[in-house]
Amino acid sequence: MDFLSFLGDNLETFWTYTGIANVTIGHIIMIVVGLAFIYLAIAKEFEPMLLVPIGFGILIGNIPFKDAGLQLGIYEEGSVLNILYQGVTSGWYPPLIFLGIGAMTDFSALISNPKLMLIGAAAQFGIFGAYIMALFMGFEPNQAGAIGIIGGADGPTAIFLSSKLAPNLMGAIAISAYSYMALVPVIQPPIMRLLTSKKDRVIRMKPPRIVSQTEKILFPIFGLLLTCFLVPSGLPLLGLLFFGNLLKESGVTRRLAETARGPLIDTITILLGMTVGASTQATQFLTLNSIKIFGLGAFSFIIATAAGVLFVKFFNLFLKKDNKINPLIGNAGVSAVPDSARISQIIGLEYDSTNYLLMHAMGPNVAGVIGSAVAAGVLLGFLG
Amino acid sequence: MKERRMKRIKEKEIRQKAIQRIFFIFVGFIAFISSNLQAQRTTSLKLNEILVINHDNFQDNYGEKNPWIEIYNTSPGNVDIAGCFLTNTMDVPKKYKVPKGDALTKIKPRQHVLFWADNRPSRGTFHLNFTLDSIQSNFIALFDSDGRTLIDSVTIPAGQHPDISYGLIEDGWTQRQLNEELRQNPSFKEKRGDQLWVSFEKVTPSSNNIVLDTNEKIDNFKLNDSLGLGMTITAMGVVFVALIILYLLFKLVGYIAVSMSHKRAMKVSGMTKEEAIGITTLSGDLLAAIAMAIYEATELHDEENTILTIKNTARNYSPWSSKIYTLRETPNKK
Repeated sequence: MDFLSFLGDNLETFWTYTGIANVTIGHIIMIVVGLAFIYLAIAKEFEPMLLVPIGFGILIGNIPFKDAGLQLGIYEEGSVLNILYQGVTSGWYPPLIFLGIGAMTDFSALISNPKLMLIGAAAQFGIFGAYIMALFMGFEPNQAGAIGIIGGADGPTAIFLSSKLAPNLMGAIAISAYSYMALVPVIQPPIMRLLTSKKDRVIRMKPPRIVSQTEKILFPIFGLLLTCFLVPSGLPLLGLLFFGNLLKESGVTRRLAETARGPLIDTITILLGMTVGASTQATQFLTLNSIKIFGLGAFSFIIATAAGVLFVKFFNLFLKKDNKINPLIGNAGVSAVPDSARISQIIGLEYDSTNYLLMHAMGPNVAGVIGSAVAAGVLLGFLG
Repeated sequence: MKERRMKRIKEKEIRQKAIQRIFFIFVGFIAFISSNLQAQRTTSLKLNEILVINHDNFQDNYGEKNPWIEIYNTSPGNVDIAGCFLTNTMDVPKKYKVPKGDALTKIKPRQHVLFWADNRPSRGTFHLNFTLDSIQSNFIALFDSDGRTLIDSVTIPAGQHPDISYGLIEDGWTQRQLNEELRQNPSFKEKRGDQLWVSFEKVTPSSNNIVLDTNEKIDNFKLNDSLGLGMTITAMGVVFVALIILYLLFKLVGYIAVSMSHKRAMKVSGMTKEEAIGITTLSGDLLAAIAMAIYEATELHDEENTILTIKNTARNYSPWSSKIYTLRETPNKK
């Protein structure tokens, strides 16, 4: 009899430790969100490299368990997940991602037509449109800055800035940024069609010229010196972005460049995606603020896309007839490399099946990466 | 022939000597920088807060209340205070040597360490072999490990009150930083005074002298830019300026690069200027081929779900099938 009651007690204790005993409606909602991410990534191929780790991370982070000091959860000091999460909280995963991005990005399109940089600048209006809106909705200026950066359409930048300005909102901001980046093919085309005429959409741009290796080597060096002297707070992101690009373009550090754009970026992407996903524990994530952040994220993407397209139309007023820019590449200024550039190409081909815009769109696309990192540096400098 | 060889050997010797000289200058420069960095590590320590009369305040691990001296690391890196000297008289700079081998002597960036002036060095690393005078003024100095380089010192005036500490107005500040703040922020003097060392009724052993419960920057933004327009204009201005400068620079670099490649082509191949211009432009055929390949690569699934496609390929990997390469690389025309 004693043995049976002992067994019963043990089973009862075991039951209290199970996920089934601790589950809440919040956990269920978040698990559904995680499954939706995985579905979108696998079935629809929406940013699978990001959504698979994030989606699975959401599942990991929302397995319910009894808070008994077992060091399981991502927010428990010393747990495995907590240790992996430190790369996010202390902000060193995003710059390493930027190192890899630099090592895989060819800035030739931008160097051959440097005026496209200005489109990358104009699209950053999305950040500040969302910033104003977030202030209006009652967020503190530092929180508004962190939310606004979603409009930069750059996941690592969003994580880096939110870890510094509003760590408690980082999960929602990261998920929002990556979700909308995955939804670029859905969000951008209607805005692009709305803001352009048929005549605009068939503008043929001058073919890019061949860029010499010297120019490609000078770009990261000058890029770093100019942008970081102006905005030193952007150094972690811009420094590693340009460093990675120099590894690629120098031609003498092929192995380092291969590592940066291959195994290193893959490793960090896995860790970053998984831990950001796991940080969305229902208790921390399911709040009214998260819903507001999702709304603001969509708003910032819309403003950024519209600003890029409208800026090109405005810019065209000052350009010679044979030197005009197709406004359909304006959307690419929001970064989201290379998806937004691909959207320019696809929409362009709908109206002229021989007008290939992809190479031109890569210019503002990579300029958008620089622009959003500079904007993040400014926000960090002002609000950090 | 022999003369030419001799000349070449001589030139080689001169070159080698020049390289050697550059190497030695470089090594010397690195050594100089390194020695400065080493020095910078301990010189970034500052005497930060001192409690002379401890009646009812912080107590040590033995449960005793003694005077204490707080040292602050102003640098962004760890600083090991081991080997440095603390003293209460200038005549004996090496009065108390901070023992080596204790992990706790490593002070984290912008963190503090506390020494007990209880004249009980046998109690551990952080117990000094002198105490502070509760009536007279007290001189305290921190010397580097050579016992000669003074890192920081302070004289605490006589007549200290119990449980009121004497500390820097802000952690680790120097007179220059205070002067700069007074110059930039006229209201600072009114709010906090203009003395570097002040008395604190709220004693803060091993923590910041001033505990901030608000962020001044954010408060200023809330007060002066509640709509966010100021931030938008300023930040967008900076983003545009950064990219405009980059644009202008690369416009210039591009111009120089193109004209140089034209000149080179004209010189080497005897081309006319018009022909030379042609070589720096990607041909329409090439661009169409690249874009078509990218388009086909990204659009396969929409059209071909029901079509059986047999792909004959000699190798698994090709830049033409890689998303990264096809989207970003401009192929060289060979």
